[in-house]
Amino acid sequence: MAVSPLVLPGAAEKGGPTAKSKLQSAAASSNGTPNAAQSSTEVNDVAEQMNEDEKAKYVKGKKLGEGTYANVYLGHISSSPSSLVAIKKIKVQQQYTEGMAPDAIRELKFLQELSHPNIISLISVFSSKDQNINLVLEFLPMGDLEMLIKDTSGVRYGMADIKAWMGMLSRAVWFCHENFVLHRDIKPNNLLIAADGEVKLADFGLARSFSDPYRLMTSTVITIWYRPPELLFGARQYSGAVDVWSVGLVFAELVIRVPYLQGINEVDQIAKLCMGVGTPTEENWPGVSKLPDYTVPAPPSPVMGIDHYLSMFGTVGQEGVDLLMKMLIMDPRRRITARQVLEHGWWSSDPRATKNEDLPKKGGGESKVAEDLGRRPGMVDDERAGKVARKLDFGGMR
Amino acid sequence: MTSSNIITEDDRYRTSTQFRLWSFTRDSLNAVRTTTNRLAADRVREAVRRAHEALSSADASDADLENPSRGVSAMPEREIDCLTVEEELRLVTFYCRQTLQLGDHLLFPTQVKTTAVQYIKRFYITNSLMTYDPATILRTALYFATKTENHYCKLTKFAEAIDKTRPEDVLASEFLLTQGLRFTFDVRHPFRALEGAVMEMNGIASGVIPYNTDVGERPQNMGRRVKTAHGKAREYLKTSALLTDVYFHYTPSQIMMATLLIADQELTHWYIASKIFLDDLAGHKILATLAECACMLQAIEPTVQAPPEERKAAGALSKKLKKCRNPEKIDLVALQRVKREGDGKVDEKIIKKRKLEREQSAKEGEDLFGPSLKNS
Ligand SMILES: Nc1ncnc2c1ncn2[C@@H]1O[C@H](COP(=O)(O)OP(=O)(O)OP(=O)(O)O)[C@@H](O)[C@H]1O
Repeated sequence: MAVSPLVLPGAAEKGGPTAKSKLQSAAASSNGTPNAAQSSTEVNDVAEQMNEDEKAKYVKGKKLGEGTYANVYLGHISSSPSSLVAIKKIKVQQQYTEGMAPDAIRELKFLQELSHPNIISLISVFSSKDQNINLVLEFLPMGDLEMLIKDTSGVRYGMADIKAWMGMLSRAVWFCHENFVLHRDIKPNNLLIAADGEVKLADFGLARSFSDPYRLMTSTVITIWYRPPELLFGARQYSGAVDVWSVGLVFAELVIRVPYLQGINEVDQIAKLCMGVGTPTEENWPGVSKLPDYTVPAPPSPVMGIDHYLSMFGTVGQEGVDLLMKMLIMDPRRRITARQVLEHGWWSSDPRATKNEDLPKKGGGESKVAEDLGRRPGMVDDERAGKVARKLDFGGMR
Repeated sequence: MTSSNIITEDDRYRTSTQFRLWSFTRDSLNAVRTTTNRLAADRVREAVRRAHEALSSADASDADLENPSRGVSAMPEREIDCLTVEEELRLVTFYCRQTLQLGDHLLFPTQVKTTAVQYIKRFYITNSLMTYDPATILRTALYFATKTENHYCKLTKFAEAIDKTRPEDVLASEFLLTQGLRFTFDVRHPFRALEGAVMEMNGIASGVIPYNTDVGERPQNMGRRVKTAHGKAREYLKTSALLTDVYFHYTPSQIMMATLLIADQELTHWYIASKIFLDDLAGHKILATLAECACMLQAIEPTVQAPPEERKAAGALSKKLKKCRNPEKIDLVALQRVKREGDGKVDEKIIKKRKLEREQSAKEGEDLFGPSLKNS
């Protein structure tokens, strides 16, 4: 590459940024590095001071868990020990030599802007002494949707509960899209649950904005079980439809209590998708064969019809099945949008969504389960759920 | 459940950090900058005094007793002529132009360049050029913008493409930058708003979109005029809008409209009138705001290259800056190493003293970012 045009006014600094003046050397300690007393305690910059003030507002407590790029601690507001928060301390990634890691940057960038009851709220950000960045998040102690889905013996739930959870998820996704943000990693374990039962979309480490529709984007996002066909085929331009597909698969999973399309790798994921939804072809999706990685197993399987979905997901009713099918339309241009999801008839049909305070919680215990069973029909709780569920009589909905 | 709660552009903007944290009245912005400048100047004088003390005591303890004043006399004069707020601002503008040129050279998309410039402008509200060298910060800001705007660029490649730059020079001030940005990385630019307005005007020009006939006939040759105005407005958005303070005082739509007004007053006025009733107090206020914004925009040449006089003035200021830089903050790479690795030996007395200074500056800094008033 040609020499850069970075012309500095006046004489160029000889020897670049490392050249030292005598005065500067005098300001440093004898071993050539600045003396710690002059650096690590030097916090009277306006910017540094504002950070100190922010940091002093919180007290960090025990460790709650660990993720790929952060450790999460329990914390509370200094002046109010009963106001709990989660403090997510971003790890300094040694192997990442390009400064602050992209997932941390994305999470911060988007959480700072998005404020919605169904999106985890970022209360504050500060750095601690070793320049670690700490995100102060609302404390969400009731686990995540994956725990509820998996705990088939301890947690029972029905259509009204699914409707409540799906409603909260759909509003979160609609809000992201309304703000030109794609989440790109929607899955049950990124849906955390607040003490009051509210579902919160979390983990914006893969999010990006889509304000410029012509920019190319990577297709290797979203955990493969929830990844839409356009990404499996390597599309570099895509839209909110990718998130809607994932929402559809969370919906399906809430009903059958296992992931609906569980591929073991990308090729297998495509095979599972062809079997479970149908093979994407030029007939059902004009242009699909031009996508970079388009390959499908032969022979093509037909697009699954309403009978298939009713037999497997009938527990959410005709309207619910209709919504699910629209979320799983293969052609992203025809797939339902997040806004249309909120306008769908399922939400206003009976039964109404369960109120937050009545939603099943993790580790509900036996009495809770029994109570649930008495109050409303539960879901069966083993892997054959889908097959058995349709036989249950959903008293409430008839 | 319905989505009757439609989010307007304005609602969206009002929840953004750009509005919540980075919007100021002219007075409040000036107050923050003044405090920043004064604190930095005090610290430069102190650091220089400390350096002198260190030098003279080192000289005294050296066997160099025959000539005790030698070390001190080689130092710059003790009375330091610091940059004023005005001068800092003019230099920041100059370095922002440099950032745009560097971005052009590296073929970065507009989004990356424009975001980087706003990072620099935001950073230097609470940091002084006398403390942190703008030539260093601009590289860091540009590189950081490639990350926040999703335009991946390998750090080693980035550093190689710029003169006398090592990867560690770019990274050493990354943390400082993010802290100065108050960990908010999203910048709302007026480009999308411009595309929206142009699309609508084109629709009106070609008769696809009906218009309010109360405001009179469409301007003559509307299609052609829209095209010309679009180009000119974009030029302003890519230069003057970034280099002036308009992002701190006006919303993206106001900035966009103001650039259109500069580009074609009659056309834009007609367009605004067709959308909003202007013959009342509220209408007058809107026009007054846009006129103020346009006036601010026109204070800086809409070119990437600085005009010769500006360049000359920047050269002189840059020389002045060299003489008033904080000597303790020049080697950022070494400073960063110390911060990251920590250093046990800390002088208690200095900590105490710094704590006092800190409390003092806290008082001064406290109100800086209180809920600021908007003048829009
Ligand atoms: N807001 C919160 N409130 C309570 N606990 C939380 C909160 N956020 C995270 N946790 C806990 O901390 C753990 C780690 O969270 P984190 O978001 O860092 O990673 P993750 O999503 O589990 O994994 P990854 O980073 O690999 O996606 C979680 O499993 C959870 O137990």
